[in-house]
Amino acid sequence: MRATDTALIEKIVQRDEMALAALYDRYAAMLSSVLNRILRDTQAAEEILQDIFFQLWRNAAQFDPSRGSLPGWLLVIARNRAISRLRRHNPAEGEELLENTVVLPSTLESAVAQEQLIGRVKGAMENLPVEQRAAIELAYFEGLTHSEIARRTGDPLGTVKTRLRSAVETLKRNLLP
Amino acid sequence: MNGHPTRPEDFDLYALGALEGEERATIESHLATCAACANKLAEAQGRIALLAFAAPRVDASPAVKERLMRQIHAAPSSASAQRAERRTREAERSAGFFARWGAAILIPAAAVLALATILLWTQNIRLDREVAEERAAIAAQQKQLDEARHEVDLMSAKDTITVALAPQPGMPQGAVHVMYNAKMGMLMCDGWVEPAPKDKSYQLWLVPMDGKPISAGVLSAPSGPIDHWMMKLPQGVTAKAFAFTLEPSGGMPQPTGPMVLVGPAT
Repeated sequence: MRATDTALIEKIVQRDEMALAALYDRYAAMLSSVLNRILRDTQAAEEILQDIFFQLWRNAAQFDPSRGSLPGWLLVIARNRAISRLRRHNPAEGEELLENTVVLPSTLESAVAQEQLIGRVKGAMENLPVEQRAAIELAYFEGLTHSEIARRTGDPLGTVKTRLRSAVETLKRNLLP
Repeated sequence: MNGHPTRPEDFDLYALGALEGEERATIESHLATCAACANKLAEAQGRIALLAFAAPRVDASPAVKERLMRQIHAAPSSASAQRAERRTREAERSAGFFARWGAAILIPAAAVLALATILLWTQNIRLDREVAEERAAIAAQQKQLDEARHEVDLMSAKDTITVALAPQPGMPQGAVHVMYNAKMGMLMCDGWVEPAPKDKSYQLWLVPMDGKPISAGVLSAPSGPIDHWMMKLPQGVTAKAFAFTLEPSGGMPQPTGPMVLVGPAT
């Protein structure tokens, strides 16, 4: 029977290397994909991927599964680290662990669940108007703010704000189970 | 203004990192004091995190997992330390408001402690290295001192003989003097010799009155000056002659090549 994330975290706290390997197998591809998309640099992506799981190994006792989802936390940390790397900024490790509480709308513990979610997210993104999709991709994958997107695209700031707000509204509607 | 965000998408836009300036500051100051909105932000973080699945799938190289597993083997950590961290975290959480002040003190204190540990560890490594270097330097000086003492003993002994080795016809040129003391079993060599042919070495032999030649060493350099080259040999061997021969690179147990420099000891 497949161990839950919570059970694996408990085992990691007890220094069970196989538990870390199991969590790695479960979530490495998910993280590797987003890291490579943001960084477009395989070596840098692999460094961050390894570092995230090493941080999990060292600080597993600080992770409280009742406060949020492990894959949600992993995704937030991966994105933050990658964007920080792009911007040459190093976030403090402790802040990441203690301050990021992430609640995912669905479980990601099985490969099937992840595959289904990939289909839903890609479908939802493709259904967005092109300008909204471009704006949300610039915000999520490049870490740009409203005004930075406006400068990048040459669109008025108000237009960018409206596009992003509409995009998150639509995604919220389409991604919630 | 420090009320709840008026539109639910504000949490998603904040989680996305799109807000800036006053918009961002306003929502941050509110989140610091409103648990209900902090929960809404956690849900928004989760929704925004799902956008990662829009990225094309890229599997990590198996080498990353191998490196990770090696790294955790090398990491200094223990289950008891982890359990202690968890207990500390739970105690801080249960202490509520006051825990924040505790954390405000404990986290910098832990950081200072960690920094001090790293500094001490680094200093310890540096001191270990310096001690090792000092020991190596002392050993080298002791070796030089011993050689100098042997040299003085050899040169001042009345029964030390000096032999001039002369080049043989058709062989590489050179001029070498050997000082030898049979009772001490010490030999010192000075002089110079032309470059040895490729893949060949010069080897010095003590030719005794009786028995087979005894190797006195192989020149490490293929040519050039020979400066106070000290060798320890079996004691009590009376020399009939000394000779340099050309041998395969690295030398031989017994001479096989032609004699280049030869000098009679009597």
